[in-house]
Amino acid sequence: MTPFYLFAAIAVGASLLVIAQRNPVYSVLLLIASFGALSGLYVLLDAPFVAVIQIIVYAGAIMVLFLFVVMLLNAPHEETPYDEQVHPLMRPGPMRLGAVLALGLVVELIWALEKGAESGRFAGGAVSNVGAIGRLLFTEYAFAFEVTSILIIVAMVGAVVLARREGAR
Amino acid sequence: MPTPLFIAQIGLTLFVFVMLLSSAAGMVYVERKVAALLQQRIGPYLVGPKGLLQPLADIIKLMFKEELRPSAADAFLFALAPIISATCAFAAFAVVPFGGDTTLLGLIPGGLRLQVADVNVAILVVFAIASMSVYGIVLAGWSSNSKYSLLGGLRSSAQMISYELSYGLALAGVLLVGNSLSLTDIVNRQAGTWLGFIPHWFVVVQPIGFLIYMTAGIAETNRAPFDFPEAEQELVAGYHTEYSSMSFAMFFLAEYVNMVTVSAVATDLFLGGWHGPFLSESIGWIWFLLKVAAILFFYVWMRWTLPRYRYDQLMRFGWKILLPLAVVNLLVTAAGVLYFGS
Amino acid sequence: MPAPSLGDYLALSAVLFAIGAAGVFVRRNLITILLSIEIMLNAVNLTFVAFGRALGSADGQIIVFFVMTVAAAEAAVGLAIVITLFRHRESLNPDSFTALKW
Repeated sequence: MTPFYLFAAIAVGASLLVIAQRNPVYSVLLLIASFGALSGLYVLLDAPFVAVIQIIVYAGAIMVLFLFVVMLLNAPHEETPYDEQVHPLMRPGPMRLGAVLALGLVVELIWALEKGAESGRFAGGAVSNVGAIGRLLFTEYAFAFEVTSILIIVAMVGAVVLARREGAR
Repeated sequence: MPTPLFIAQIGLTLFVFVMLLSSAAGMVYVERKVAALLQQRIGPYLVGPKGLLQPLADIIKLMFKEELRPSAADAFLFALAPIISATCAFAAFAVVPFGGDTTLLGLIPGGLRLQVADVNVAILVVFAIASMSVYGIVLAGWSSNSKYSLLGGLRSSAQMISYELSYGLALAGVLLVGNSLSLTDIVNRQAGTWLGFIPHWFVVVQPIGFLIYMTAGIAETNRAPFDFPEAEQELVAGYHTEYSSMSFAMFFLAEYVNMVTVSAVATDLFLGGWHGPFLSESIGWIWFLLKVAAILFFYVWMRWTLPRYRYDQLMRFGWKILLPLAVVNLLVTAAGVLYFGS
Repeated sequence: MPAPSLGDYLALSAVLFAIGAAGVFVRRNLITILLSIEIMLNAVNLTFVAFGRALGSADGQIIVFFVMTVAAAEAAVGLAIVITLFRHRESLNPDSFTALKW
């Protein structure tokens, strides 16, 4: 079994379980497992820097935030009587539509994989050098980089304003 | 891969694992003895000569205790949390180099680097694993289903997220000066001296970075004076209130192994790793051990000297003093590197 | 099994994206919906890195950083909104927030 199929199986399985069970704490943890598998895939794609950043930013920061909110709200389950009866993936409406869409996806994937099988192998010359990435980020993408920093500041201010209790100073 | 080197690699991995385990046991003894020294007591002296077998007695006591689990706890996560903590603590040390190349008395042709895994983004890996270890504590707090545990877990996650920023920025300063993400490269750049007697260590060019790193490191490992997650006067024992026996031992182990890792990384980044006078490179690991031991002593010394901060003081210090200081340090370092060249 | 090709990575990415999209439609919990969005963003990231590898350029990896920044901003604001909504309605079900519906 090549590492690719192992990581792919973990990513798909964990992601499926994220949406297939009701306890958000487990959802968050399974998503972290999925991110770990994706990070492994990035290593296979000769992008070790992205792999580590994936762990630091997604698993280390964003998911902690999610876990924090889940614990803070402490309302872990979907509790309405309707939810109690029906498994998240087993509701009649979504099931019919989903079955059609999933069938479409499967057909499309098989078609695409058949087509892509001959063109598939990666050529040499991957850019895994952190210096090269950094140089590109601060020259060619400098404008986008600055815009992202503004985005982060706006998001930070927005989050503080939204989450603060009214009247609190 | 040549077979002797492969065997040596596996041997090295096992050796590091065993050494980390025994360093935790050793630290228990040192901690008690130093605490006794600072408080003018004698410390453990009954078990073995000068109490040297005290850690062994502690381990045996922990092993024979009953494993308790609160009935309302989430069984799976309750069992998983200490495992995450201990795994992250051990995993981080894998990328830390602790000596130059050695041929092990000529047994291994070509030489073996004293590092379990040579990763070219080693610093980021250390940082990534450090950021994962918060999960062990948060999950322990949540899954115990006890108010002390939950508060301890929430406090620790807030604390670790806050101090991780300063920790990362302190690392970034060294990256700029060392011009590499590989810990081995950074250590090798610290060889030699200025004017013949000032060692070429990065602590000389990054004194503020070193202070920030040590402060944030203490906060990251949840040691006094930043040990809020387990402030016993307020929270009983914080996130591990409900843990007993071996699962408690795993948290305990994780704390000490984390301390060793933070000290080892500090040695590699700021104190020149295995480089030092008088000893040749092949036995440079003696210098490495001495430096790590010095930092560990500093840790214990801090714990028994400084009183615990208040929680809001900790947060204010982290966000309003340490983080701006780290940012300024990074900017000044970047300007310096640009001006003088690295 | 043969070594994975670009097509395999893209197929995996498509499956992950589909799972994320299904999560957004099916689940009735705001936090799980946000998690599903993260799954979709990661599927897209995988596509970028795989294409970047196939074309031998660093651009794919750089776009991933921007996507991660946006994901972080989205998570921060999204969770802040979730907290505020929960304070008002004591529920995380998007169907219970009907104040602006007519």
